[in-house]
Amino acid sequence: MTHVAAIFTHLTAFLSGGRRHGACLAALLGLLLVACGDEPPTATETPVAVRTEPGELLFHPDTRPVEVTLVNVSKKPVAIGRVRVDERSTDWVGFSVGETRQVVDADDELVPSESVGGAIKLAPGQRLKLHLGVDSGYFMGPGDAPVAAHDDEEAEPIAPDAYRTGMARLVFTVDGKDHRGIPIRFEDPSWAGQYLWPALLKVLLLVLGFIMPLASILTWMERKQSAMMQDRLGPNMAALKLGPIELRLWGIPHFIADGIKMLFKEDFVPRKAHRALYTAAPVFAFVPALVVFAIVPFGDGLCYTRMFESLSQADVSQCADGRGGTALQVAHIDVGLLYYFAVASIATYGTALAGWASYNKWAILGSLRASAQMISYEVAIGLTIVGALLVYGTLEPHELVRAQLGSYWGIVLQPIAFVLFFTAAIAETKRAPFDIPEADSEIIGYFIEYSGMRFGLFYLSEFIEVIFVSAMVATLFLGGWSLPFGMLGASGFSSPLMAQLFFAGTGLGLLVLGVLAWRTAKSGELFGAVVALVGVLHLFGASWSLFTGWGTAVPHILVVALWMVIWGGKVFLLCALQLLIRWTLPRFRYDQLMSLGWKGLLPLSIANIVVTAILVYLLMPGSTPAQ
Amino acid sequence: MTISVKKVSLQRTARDQIFLPAILEGLLTTARHFFKNTFTPGHGDVQTIRWGEPGVTGKDYYPERFRGVHRLMYREDGSVRCVACMCCSTVCPARCIYIQAEDRHDDSEKAPQSFVIDELKCVVCGFCVEACPCDAIRMDTREHMPPTETREEAVLGKIDLMKRGGPSVAVQGGLGASYREQAPKADPRFGHDPR
Repeated sequence: MTHVAAIFTHLTAFLSGGRRHGACLAALLGLLLVACGDEPPTATETPVAVRTEPGELLFHPDTRPVEVTLVNVSKKPVAIGRVRVDERSTDWVGFSVGETRQVVDADDELVPSESVGGAIKLAPGQRLKLHLGVDSGYFMGPGDAPVAAHDDEEAEPIAPDAYRTGMARLVFTVDGKDHRGIPIRFEDPSWAGQYLWPALLKVLLLVLGFIMPLASILTWMERKQSAMMQDRLGPNMAALKLGPIELRLWGIPHFIADGIKMLFKEDFVPRKAHRALYTAAPVFAFVPALVVFAIVPFGDGLCYTRMFESLSQADVSQCADGRGGTALQVAHIDVGLLYYFAVASIATYGTALAGWASYNKWAILGSLRASAQMISYEVAIGLTIVGALLVYGTLEPHELVRAQLGSYWGIVLQPIAFVLFFTAAIAETKRAPFDIPEADSEIIGYFIEYSGMRFGLFYLSEFIEVIFVSAMVATLFLGGWSLPFGMLGASGFSSPLMAQLFFAGTGLGLLVLGVLAWRTAKSGELFGAVVALVGVLHLFGASWSLFTGWGTAVPHILVVALWMVIWGGKVFLLCALQLLIRWTLPRFRYDQLMSLGWKGLLPLSIANIVVTAILVYLLMPGSTPAQ
Repeated sequence: MTISVKKVSLQRTARDQIFLPAILEGLLTTARHFFKNTFTPGHGDVQTIRWGEPGVTGKDYYPERFRGVHRLMYREDGSVRCVACMCCSTVCPARCIYIQAEDRHDDSEKAPQSFVIDELKCVVCGFCVEACPCDAIRMDTREHMPPTETREEAVLGKIDLMKRGGPSVAVQGGLGASYREQAPKADPRFGHDPR
């Protein structure tokens, strides 16, 4: 019961973000719980004038010096003195504080530092930057007695060539009084704990939690959306029958029926087909489409231990770096986009093999067309991205999104590249208007001989490619997981107003959608009610923020959830846009396709590179290749 | 007077060449249809017959002259009207009607011992109905041939065909005077009398 009370008090405290009303509310709740006959209230800490970013430091053996920022969050100037590693802590010798001290204002501009008797004065809102390094050699070998993780565990002896864990604390004085400082930890993570389990979890979350459900839904959505665009009804008959209840759900269960049908259909192999390659081709088409998702970031970083606190960007960056958390991206590869090109071109093998191994003239025609098309448009894709690379200076998608957070989204800085990339990427998925490899009315396509789940794999990989194109466009040009104008930062919304805007906007949108769904058809009543209810909850959130000023300090786990939802929403809308394009535009002829690729997209993308390079050289003098 | 030739310029304008304005127009058109049809009660412009929806049977939407699955009509005593003249099986372009004749014992006419229609072969042309001299075979059921598990089930015999049948008002052996008057009335919902 006491724990519950304490948790509740903390919960209300961080929900209110330390605001006056929130504090009152917390005190009230605390009193209520105390009145129930538990322990006396714990002594509250004095208000802290200086916040540290990150709030906790974690070092690995190969960590380079880490930047620590002290922010003056009070209303009056403070003097910060004697920043050092606390000599009373266990392993203080292992860490060292750098000599440089930089004072910057809220806009990250350097200001001359004022030193009074060894202490540095910080005006309100100003930040003091310093660096902290680690001497990992100190932690090598037996050394002092290792610290057990828990009291009941017996500390194991450390081998001479292994690292042991270490602990210290960075402390400083504020106006002569000791600040509680930042805890510092040193540890050598196990390979499984650092790489294997997080990667596995992220793969499962991404593939089973997002890609496969969305791809299956897209098979239904394509049919339904096209029907609605063409004044037809589309699939609406499949239903989930749960006893007396029959859930039609606008025909969404059709994708389940499709899956069952494909699994149980005859698995046909043409008599003269090359059996091994015929079997391998769908795998060659399916696997690259999934594997290429490894570089897509769907959030910034996740901190394992501090999920219910509001964390600063420095904390999240540290977690995204793998220290105390994990980046919300399966693989953080420095060559990011090159990996995308490499893996995407493997998918060409799938189509080429499928056509050749089928022993069918239409199939091989389709596969030849597919190969020619994919090779032509990969050139254009590669060159359109170069413009974005010049502006943001990185190939790594996670870094690309962060760079967009720092300046503008890619669609603002690179509008032509956005159109060119989107066009070329749709061509890469081999869907209308670029579906000459498939060309239903002429040759049916490279998978003409495939049936059952083998065909299903081709079909599904097509939709996975659609999702990937959307994810890539969102990452490169639409700011990935971020909201426009920097509305949502790592610690929460940039101001309570932004939180109110976001929640009121989302709530109203969902409410309208729910009511419309309710009105449209009888089958939509349940769904509409749920959507409208979620919308009303959002509106409650907005009004809560209006009265308490909540929104600037949001618990980390909620921020992570918001990132994922925002990213997923962007991807979903872009998928719907691709379906709209696919069912609006007629198919290109083969010569038109080639001339669009080689005479249209390619020269335009090269021109885009030249113009961007000149503009970057003229307008962004700091961003030289050396940096 | 000379013949004037209208020359059509095939030159593309700059607007045509960059594609994008036309593409955006097209996207807007389809998007407008999508939102109207999705969010209007009753699905906006959608004209599709709503098969299988509660309260809707396909029969309601069929005109009177729709050719459905065949049926064989009765005489007043409940026996089949067919006299096994082979007109229908002769005229059938798909050759899907097989008749074996036998004696009819009450008078001198023939009767079919077996009357088999392979509905899978049938092309639903209606020639058999036109050819029949005694109003024995009809296609006015307004029913599609229902799907079957096996091919054999789609081959209908005399018993199956007579299940859908009814007494005919026509005079046996020739056209009765009242046939046209007593035929089913046109569906008032179609606004015009197909006759």
